[in-house]
Amino acid sequence: MSVLRPFRATDMFKFNNINLDIWTETYGISFYLTYLSRWPDLCCVQEAPNGHMMGYVIGKAEGHGQDWHGHVTALTVAPEYRRLSLARKMMSLLEMVSDETYKGFFVDLYVRCTNSVAISMYEGLGYSVYRRVREYYGSLGLGRASKDEEDAFDMRKPLSRDPHRRSVRANGREFVVSAHDVS
Amino acid sequence: MSTALDRQIRPIYDALDTQSNKSAVLACNKVLKKQPNNVLVKALKALALVRLQKVEESLLLADEVLAKKPTDDGVLTAMMHVLRGLGRHSDIVAMFETAYKQHPQNEDLGTQTFFANVRVGNWKAAQQVATKMHKQFQDDRYLYWSIFSAVLQANDMATPEALRPVLLKLALRLISSGNTPSYFNPDRFYVHLLILRELEMYDDAATLLNHEIGQKICETSLVCDEIRRDIMKLKGACKQEGEQAKVKILEKKDRNWLEFLSLLDATFWDIASTSEPASEDVKAAVTEEIAKTRKVFSEAATVDGLKDRSGLLALLELEKRTKSHGLWTDACEIRMMAENYFSQFGDKACCYEDLLPYLAFEGEELEQWTSFLNSRKSFDTPDTLQRSINVYKLLRYNLTSAELTPELELARAQEYIKVYLDGLKFGVNLPDTELQPADDFAILVGHAYVSLWKLTGEESHLQSAAATLEYASARSKQSYRIRLLLIRIYHLLGAPALALDHYRLMNVKQVQTDTLSHLILSRAAMWSLAPLGDITYMSECMEASQIYMSNSTEVCNLLLILFAIVMTNIQTAEFIARAFSTERYSQIIDFIEFEDRLDNSLQRDLMKVEHVRMRVAHEPLNAELVDMELIELKFIFDRIHHDNRDFEVIPNYQPRCQPSFNEQTLPLKPPGAGWLSAYLKVYIRAFQEASDLDETVEDKLLIGDRPKPSNDPENQLPLRERLVKKRQEEIDDLSEDEKLFYEYTLALSEWVGPYHDYVRPPPSALLAEAAKSNDLKPGHPLKSMAAAANGSATNGHSKKDEEPPAVKESPELIPKFFDDMKSRFDAVISGTALPSELLHIVATTQEAYLLFALETVRFKPNSIIKQYKFGQLAQSFKDLRVKASSILNEMSTVLAKLGEEVATPDGRKAFVQASSSIQDSSGFDHDFVLGVAKKTTDARKQTYEGIAKGLAKVVKNHS
Repeated sequence: MSVLRPFRATDMFKFNNINLDIWTETYGISFYLTYLSRWPDLCCVQEAPNGHMMGYVIGKAEGHGQDWHGHVTALTVAPEYRRLSLARKMMSLLEMVSDETYKGFFVDLYVRCTNSVAISMYEGLGYSVYRRVREYYGSLGLGRASKDEEDAFDMRKPLSRDPHRRSVRANGREFVVSAHDVS
Repeated sequence: MSTALDRQIRPIYDALDTQSNKSAVLACNKVLKKQPNNVLVKALKALALVRLQKVEESLLLADEVLAKKPTDDGVLTAMMHVLRGLGRHSDIVAMFETAYKQHPQNEDLGTQTFFANVRVGNWKAAQQVATKMHKQFQDDRYLYWSIFSAVLQANDMATPEALRPVLLKLALRLISSGNTPSYFNPDRFYVHLLILRELEMYDDAATLLNHEIGQKICETSLVCDEIRRDIMKLKGACKQEGEQAKVKILEKKDRNWLEFLSLLDATFWDIASTSEPASEDVKAAVTEEIAKTRKVFSEAATVDGLKDRSGLLALLELEKRTKSHGLWTDACEIRMMAENYFSQFGDKACCYEDLLPYLAFEGEELEQWTSFLNSRKSFDTPDTLQRSINVYKLLRYNLTSAELTPELELARAQEYIKVYLDGLKFGVNLPDTELQPADDFAILVGHAYVSLWKLTGEESHLQSAAATLEYASARSKQSYRIRLLLIRIYHLLGAPALALDHYRLMNVKQVQTDTLSHLILSRAAMWSLAPLGDITYMSECMEASQIYMSNSTEVCNLLLILFAIVMTNIQTAEFIARAFSTERYSQIIDFIEFEDRLDNSLQRDLMKVEHVRMRVAHEPLNAELVDMELIELKFIFDRIHHDNRDFEVIPNYQPRCQPSFNEQTLPLKPPGAGWLSAYLKVYIRAFQEASDLDETVEDKLLIGDRPKPSNDPENQLPLRERLVKKRQEEIDDLSEDEKLFYEYTLALSEWVGPYHDYVRPPPSALLAEAAKSNDLKPGHPLKSMAAAANGSATNGHSKKDEEPPAVKESPELIPKFFDDMKSRFDAVISGTALPSELLHIVATTQEAYLLFALETVRFKPNSIIKQYKFGQLAQSFKDLRVKASSILNEMSTVLAKLGEEVATPDGRKAFVQASSSIQDSSGFDHDFVLGVAKKTTDARKQTYEGIAKGLAKVVKNHS
């Protein structure tokens, strides 16, 4: 139960309850404006009836040829609104737009290898690990230098344009690439 | 470009790319020696110079280049950066327009000209350029550029009311002239709908929307769907929307809350759409509709079960609206639904805020609700823990004032502590990146103790709150909500350094500084130890202001600062241009609003004023400070501000009969637009009097474009008149002490103003002086004024024709202000007021003293006193200064002593004893509380002693 609406530039004034959480990065203004000026239909917000922002997704369309796809750049839900399937709803919107508007072959996203809650959620949504990207993330700066924390899984889900599921593979966790090899 | 020339120019670009601006200048000079008329090299040199802050030289070169009417791409690009650096955006527009006129076939020049106009918000010219481009290049994209520019012009505040529909009709006509229909892409479709909405042509819009492609677009484009909903509402097609919503909810399982709202609106449409009392027939019909809707929502609730809250919550909303329209509903219906809702979703954190709008129970209903909740406390699993947290919050929400006695609140605080400590067991194994499930109990403890402090006025409760919350913060390091409470409490306790620590740990950055820096920078001058050279808060202000500056090459140079003000946030303007190029029209209006809100942010200028207040205490009061701040503050003065500050983020679980936690813990009413206006007037007046700059001089010193004047009729009055006009809005925003201060400054400037005006050197003298110093410092762009300075100039102080104004006694208000503040101080010291109140009084008195110094510094030299026969005036100043100094010194002594007392073992012991209530419960050991006590008392001591020393130093510096 929430309002699903477009992400607006002025939402930057009210996303504190979401962005003060440690798992959510606050980027420079130009980051958000770039996405909104290019892929506004891949950016949306879930809002509570009282007007508080609950979560948002920011995505883009990229790649060439068979690699043309929707990408989830940021997906976040404020702590007090977790366990309400909000992420699921926003992902399904992003998948729908990537499929119907952008005609992409798949949707992909990056997630910290340590973020097991998120990984199992994405698996539940039909995503699978395509490869592991070494040192993709910075350390969380909490004094632990775990390798898993900095590595990312690149997870993918094929769309209707890829009926033969060519964009995914079964043993993706075994494929390791370095951060330089991905855009 | 020939290879030979390319070889020569490449190093210049390389140097510019690596910010080696000095070598860029050298490389340019080398080429210019052989080819003195190379325009590109001149433009690049101008760029290097402006980056080196050699504004005057850069200006000269830039003018030379512009005079050549360049059309070469490289020259134009370089010049765009030069002119941006100089803040001359209107020159950028003119430059591209000239170039495009010479090469009307050049599509790129057309585009650049269009963008240049877009960046400065010159919609009319932009529209004309786009129209011309459309004719020339026959691309529909340019047609839409022109259409949307017309829409934006219609939206612009500066456009006269009567012209708006004309522009919109023009835009609509243009749409039908396109080669492709508007639904060619969603953003063009959006523009079309927007125009129809603005023109109130709802039926035409509905036709578009009901078309197959229109429907398809709205399914995938949230933006178009949003405007569709809006149009349907305006059209009065609520019932139709309701029918559609019903289908979506039942068949498509759409759970967007907007669909539920559509159905709710439709259900009550017959009653809600008219102001006349409803007939029995209408009531009966609506009651029937309600029953149908109830069925839909119940069905959704049954289907969804625990998966989605929409159905159950919509039922609650339905009952609430039924009741508010005076239709029959069972008195206990809402409560039973709330209970049902709690039973199903009580283990979700948002259950509390979901239910709030429906819980205004009284009497028997309230009793039943309370006993229902009381029976739901359980602490067996993490899920029941969350449920219990909701129980406690919901119980607290409905407490009546009779239940808010100190004894009962204390008992509650202790219960919250107990369940908090119990609840910690569910988070023992969580990694330190996770929040503790029991955090909200600690937050409730904080609320209960703040409420106790409000009830009893005893500071000890705040100390207990601080100790508990520190404990919780150490266990849940990522909880920003706990830190928010601590920030507020530490300010009340006079320990701003600890508040600042927590703020920094929240890692507030980028645009968040605009919305959150108020947490530490509201009236920050009162905590600042600037007189002692501690610039912590001044740098916080500067850092938090970074977001407003488009580039960080900030400079102390007076003139560069000037255009830094004008060119803030060019960034966003750039994205508006970009959104045009990608044809994302739906974003442009939002971007413009965003830019406006950020550029004219209230917090931005509140920080500016705080910075000025601290700077005055920190630096010598010389012409450099006075002139620079005067010009900057005058720029701000005309802004219409937007308040972007986020207070909502501060948790609030206080009972509904009490003010919110935010309101309870503000040391003073938060400064608003009125406060800002009052303080801007105070400082502009004082700086204006102390400064030699008058308007004519200032105009000549200004290089960049001036900000667009606002249309407010109030702003049309002469500045001088506006500065002395008190407005009720200002007074309402000030604290009692600030009100006294405001009156004091008015009296002071009214008294000394005439003497300033008499002694101030004439503009011609000043310009001559400036031109002279220009020869010494090539960075100063004063050439243009040298001519004006010649001729009429005489050196130094010219002989005045009129007699000096008669010396008057100081107005009574001035010495009285210091007496008043002294007695306020004494009263607070002997009472139980909080440190924050004490420091506010001290800071206000110190500020008054500094303004006095600022207003009298001109009359200090003996030569001035003699020349203008101001002996008596000087004596009045001296008497006042002595009086004020002695009061400040006294305050300083008392504060220093207080600082001594607070951080002794006895002081700490008192703190620990005060927090005895939290030690009764197990878990908080004596040492932990002692640790917090030491931190708090040390921080307070540091503040007291620092401010005491600062006072003494201020007195010494300006005696």
